[in-house]
Amino acid sequence: MKSKILNELTELLEHNIISKDVASNISSYYQAKSDEQPNRLFTVFGVLGSALVGLGVILILAHNWDSFSRLVKTFFAFLPLIIGQVISGYSILQKKGQAWKESSGTFLFFAIGASIALVSQIYNIPGDLSEYLLTWILLGLPLIYVLNSKAVSMLIIVFATYYACELGYNFGYANNAPWFYLVILFGTVPFYINLLRKSPNANSTSIFNWLYALSFVIVLGSFIDTNWSMGFVMYAMLFGLFYNLGKTPVYNNQQLRRNSFLLIGSLGTVVLLLILSFNMIWKEMYEEPIVFNSQEMLISIGLFVCAIGFLLYSKKHKENSKFNLFQYAFLLFAIVFVIGNGNYGLGTIFTNVLVLTLGVFAVKIGADSFRFSVLNYGLLIISAMIVCRFFDTDMSFVLRGTLFVIVGLGFFLTNYFMLKKQKELKQKTLK
Amino acid sequence: MKTIHIFLIFIVVVLLQLFVPAKMILDREDVIKTGTQYKFKTQPVDPNDPFRGKYVTLNYEIDSAEAVAMDSTIQRGDKILVYLDTDSLGYAKLHSVSKYKINTERDYVEAKVQWYNLNNKKVNFQLEFNRYYMEEFKAKPAEDIYRKYNSRQDSIHNTYALVAVKEGEAVLKDVYINDKSIHYYIEKEANQ
Repeated sequence: MKSKILNELTELLEHNIISKDVASNISSYYQAKSDEQPNRLFTVFGVLGSALVGLGVILILAHNWDSFSRLVKTFFAFLPLIIGQVISGYSILQKKGQAWKESSGTFLFFAIGASIALVSQIYNIPGDLSEYLLTWILLGLPLIYVLNSKAVSMLIIVFATYYACELGYNFGYANNAPWFYLVILFGTVPFYINLLRKSPNANSTSIFNWLYALSFVIVLGSFIDTNWSMGFVMYAMLFGLFYNLGKTPVYNNQQLRRNSFLLIGSLGTVVLLLILSFNMIWKEMYEEPIVFNSQEMLISIGLFVCAIGFLLYSKKHKENSKFNLFQYAFLLFAIVFVIGNGNYGLGTIFTNVLVLTLGVFAVKIGADSFRFSVLNYGLLIISAMIVCRFFDTDMSFVLRGTLFVIVGLGFFLTNYFMLKKQKELKQKTLK
Repeated sequence: MKTIHIFLIFIVVVLLQLFVPAKMILDREDVIKTGTQYKFKTQPVDPNDPFRGKYVTLNYEIDSAEAVAMDSTIQRGDKILVYLDTDSLGYAKLHSVSKYKINTERDYVEAKVQWYNLNNKKVNFQLEFNRYYMEEFKAKPAEDIYRKYNSRQDSIHNTYALVAVKEGEAVLKDVYINDKSIHYYIEKEANQ
């Protein structure tokens, strides 16, 4: 990127577009900027290298060398751990750069895993994978803060998700909600908030945005015990929370691709509603009474309160003063869910209306702000809903066909008119 | 924060990281050295764990019991205590199960409830020490060897796990077929 700009500078100078002063100012600006940042590539390769070495050590130890005595095996259990600790301690004391801290932290993290794995093997310590992962994660968690390490923090989030899936999606055993997952993630949050404050636009921060959002979506389902129908409410509330969180200034001022919460919140809501737009799902849910005193209900209420909190917070800021139906979708869903549990037919109808309105609303936002992506997203929502209705056989073929034609024309016409309008506007401003 | 403060916290973390595996070792060493040994009749099969390698899962013959009245709240996944006895041939025998600790000198081990039948008050459980880690390429032969000896359908061949027990802690030491370690059979097989 930098060299590209510098190349352009010589060309601009040659054609007398900019003066020499401006050119030297620009080049010194980029020079200073690059001096501020340590060699990022070095950090990335350092982390990748230590992660691979660490995993390699775990695999080699997992061979479970029979020919070594218990004492020798114990020695090897501690060896990588102590090496990792010494290097990490050295990088702290010598105030080494970020590359050192990230790499040594990553290696130490895997060394902890290797160490307790080998001890488990030597003594045939019982306990399944999730218990082992939990011990490992808890011992590694403080490294995030003492080494100020993003890599360890990412590893902790990924491993916590792994742990939660191992424990929570263990079908059959009841009451296996991975509550410790929440404790672990809570432990990583101060570090993340600090990143959001210091460098909200860094690439690494946007990786964190995505990791957190995806991790929560993956894990939430493991908290569903026996009341599966409440699972829909839990996810609807989570997506509502995500969307409103994505609308708060910290995330809203970023590029859309970095705003994982907004994207997943919006997409998740639509997908969930599309699933529930089928009558048979409401019918199934209707046959299972809602248990009010359950962990699913508790989690739904918790997420609901958080979502409301973020909604009110985001509304305080000017850029959100316009009405946006997506922000209220979770509230409307809660109402539809209550109605649907009394009368499943009404539940289906209201869900379909809600999806359709969301689609139309997205089209409107897109048209108002001249954003083709949002416009077509709205059209996609509408057509997805119609495709879903295609499978409901109790609708006449003629009606279904007509709907398809109308939506197809809609795609074509809205895009065409918007393009035309945009051209006209451009011409006006040029004149 | 000053570097030295961070370093001091780091030292605490380091000690913790060393303490946990060390404690795991010391606890087990204590059970092995001072605990009582039991022979649990078993049958092995071989799965694996992504981080800890291959192991043999042991299915113990002791896997169900009549529950006492006070244990009627037992649920799937609960931990219960299995009190032990020894039979005339020296194998571990079930004495009783309980959800809570009972006042007795008797040795006990922990087990996970598989299911609880309310009608006949029978509880099915799995003893915790059911993983025997083996060298990567020996776990499968170990299972095969077991099958070979077991298929003869006679009572001469006995497979059992040697377990040291102390105050509810159990350490699985070795798996035996007819009073010889399973490693002996693997080597014998390899030499043939």
